[in-house]
Amino acid sequence: MASRAEPPDGGWGWMVVLSAFFQSALVFGVLRSFGVFFVEFVAAFEEQAARVSWIASIGIAVQQFGSPVGSALSTKFGPRPVVMTGGILAALGMLLASFATSLTHLYLSIGLLSGSGWALTFAPTLACLSCYFSRHRSLATGLALTGVGLSSFAFAPLFQWLLSYYAWRGALLLVSALSLHLVACGALLRPLCLAEDTTVGGPWAQLTSLLHHGPFLRYTVALTLINTGYFIPYVHLVAHLQDLGWDPLPAAFLLSVAAISDLVGRVASGWLGDAVPGPVARLLMLWTTLTGVSLALFPVAQSPTALVALTVAYGFTSGALTPVAFSVLPELVGTGRIYCGLGLLQMVESLGGLLGAPLSGYLRDVMGNYTASFVVAGACLLAGSGVLITLPHFFSCVSATTSRPQELVTEALDNKVPLPKEGLGEN
Amino acid sequence: TVKYNNLSMESYNISLTEHSSMPVEKNITLDRPSDIQLTCQLTTSRDLNSVNVTWKKDDEILGNDYLINATGNILYTQHRFTITNSKQMGSYSCVFQEEKEQRGTFNFRVPKVHGRNKPLISYVGDSTVLTCSCDDCFPLNWTWYSSNGSVQVPVGIQKNKYVRNGTYANETSLKITELLEEDGGSYWCRALFQLGESEEHIELVVLSFLVPLKPFLAIVAEVVLLVTIILLCEKYTQKKQPDSDNEKELEQIEQLKSDDSNGIENNVPRLRKTEPVGQ
Repeated sequence: MASRAEPPDGGWGWMVVLSAFFQSALVFGVLRSFGVFFVEFVAAFEEQAARVSWIASIGIAVQQFGSPVGSALSTKFGPRPVVMTGGILAALGMLLASFATSLTHLYLSIGLLSGSGWALTFAPTLACLSCYFSRHRSLATGLALTGVGLSSFAFAPLFQWLLSYYAWRGALLLVSALSLHLVACGALLRPLCLAEDTTVGGPWAQLTSLLHHGPFLRYTVALTLINTGYFIPYVHLVAHLQDLGWDPLPAAFLLSVAAISDLVGRVASGWLGDAVPGPVARLLMLWTTLTGVSLALFPVAQSPTALVALTVAYGFTSGALTPVAFSVLPELVGTGRIYCGLGLLQMVESLGGLLGAPLSGYLRDVMGNYTASFVVAGACLLAGSGVLITLPHFFSCVSATTSRPQELVTEALDNKVPLPKEGLGEN
Repeated sequence: TVKYNNLSMESYNISLTEHSSMPVEKNITLDRPSDIQLTCQLTTSRDLNSVNVTWKKDDEILGNDYLINATGNILYTQHRFTITNSKQMGSYSCVFQEEKEQRGTFNFRVPKVHGRNKPLISYVGDSTVLTCSCDDCFPLNWTWYSSNGSVQVPVGIQKNKYVRNGTYANETSLKITELLEEDGGSYWCRALFQLGESEEHIELVVLSFLVPLKPFLAIVAEVVLLVTIILLCEKYTQKKQPDSDNEKELEQIEQLKSDDSNGIENNVPRLRKTEPVGQ
């Protein structure tokens, strides 16, 4: 395979986008639609709802905390074998789950096994995408992430139909077959050798260098704050609307409206991220601030029109911040360290996700309504966007549209040979 | 009359006007013997004495066991009785006969039992639980039947079926372990009250594991095919351009070699961005 100096920005890259699209659908779409199985498990195992919810929680936790492992393995072996293995593990977990006789069995097969499979797929794929694109990186990421939204639409009714036809055992078997397509997606991830890959050290060296990288750490803090607030409306919007007196059906419909505007936001922001010059971090700060503001305004809105408008705004802005959040990373740490960077980032920001929903629920229980939780969520987002201002080159007027892989060569070399002039390299 | 028994007293009320075009009905759920007091009132502008008042049970006229009272332009009638068995359940109506007939009907029914409206699907060798429940009721007992066609056979004798009455009196479950295909079919749960019976139907479908296995294997075969096609395509396109790849590689190696020998300064104009890298 030839070594390239520049990312191809197209060509096979679009197949990688397709692969990432199906992967985000098969990983997050399945996770999001798992609630459909929830009722069946409660009845089949005669267990309490809280204990059954642990299945999905363990799966999500393993997926996020295992991301650095997936990333580290991809720096060593390339993304393709790692993602294909991940696909096999994810499908195997579901297959074993269809034979389950107890809830513990499900914790291990879906939570642990499928979760590890998912951990090995998502981060390496997005990192691979960043290798293939530089000018169109945001658009490519945005398009790839639309897979999550579309699959949530499609999988929930599909799973419901599978359940009514085959009951949960047969349905799990078929979801396993569906997850096996992750292997096919992994096969599409043709390895790309960029010039700087050979100069950067192995996984451990990369991880330690990242942990000492000031901007990366600040970015992690920002994204953790953002993640804490991000999921709150998805969890609590319907309940908040019902508190205001809405019927369940219009409330669910409003969630669908949010999902649609989320989708539009992702693609629009992806396109915008590439079209607008300057650091992508500025766009991220814009979208994060707007999301935070729209969240904080939720308690104030009472009339249906205001609520619908806010929901559309929230959906659009929160969808818009996702592709940009991933695009900032290669600019920060370079494409050579992108795999490890993404993995580490996913792991730390998952803490925000884990804390966000329970915190919001706790605030609701204490205050009696969702005002405090929406305001806190908005505040977290605004705090995150504040931290983003501290990132390097934030206020620079010079265009930094492409993250040159050569920049990392300079960094890596400078770490070993200090340059006398120009202050190049890290302090 | 004064009652000295310990039955609960239930009162129900229907209001009619002379303009009520449709008969007014009230559905009442009763699961235990009770003292019943039914009151109907008619608001009319006509002469109250010209109205003929009767009480009927299921179209049979009842005796004189009721009161009639007139105040202003409202006519009240009240019927008190006791329901102790299933024969006394049914529809009780107060009928005001003037030019048109105005009727108010109280429908007494035993509580309805809920099961599942969709069939319950399970697999051979698996175990499953069929549940029935009713809202706010206390049945005397529950029984389960299975039916082939129209014959109902009591369940609970076969060795793999266990009737479990839930922690609350208003629910019951039938647990079937080690399912066989013959265990599939219609099941009935019946709640017995002092005032009657109520039953519900649940359909159980037992599938063999081959049923989902076939589509599963088909999809796995499709994935294997996809992966093979993708990898073969790649090998094929690679084979077509071996020379150009080698050429590019040689070029790159030459460049890197010359960069190394010239030192880092030569890289600076090509590599550096205009602002300092990292902070």
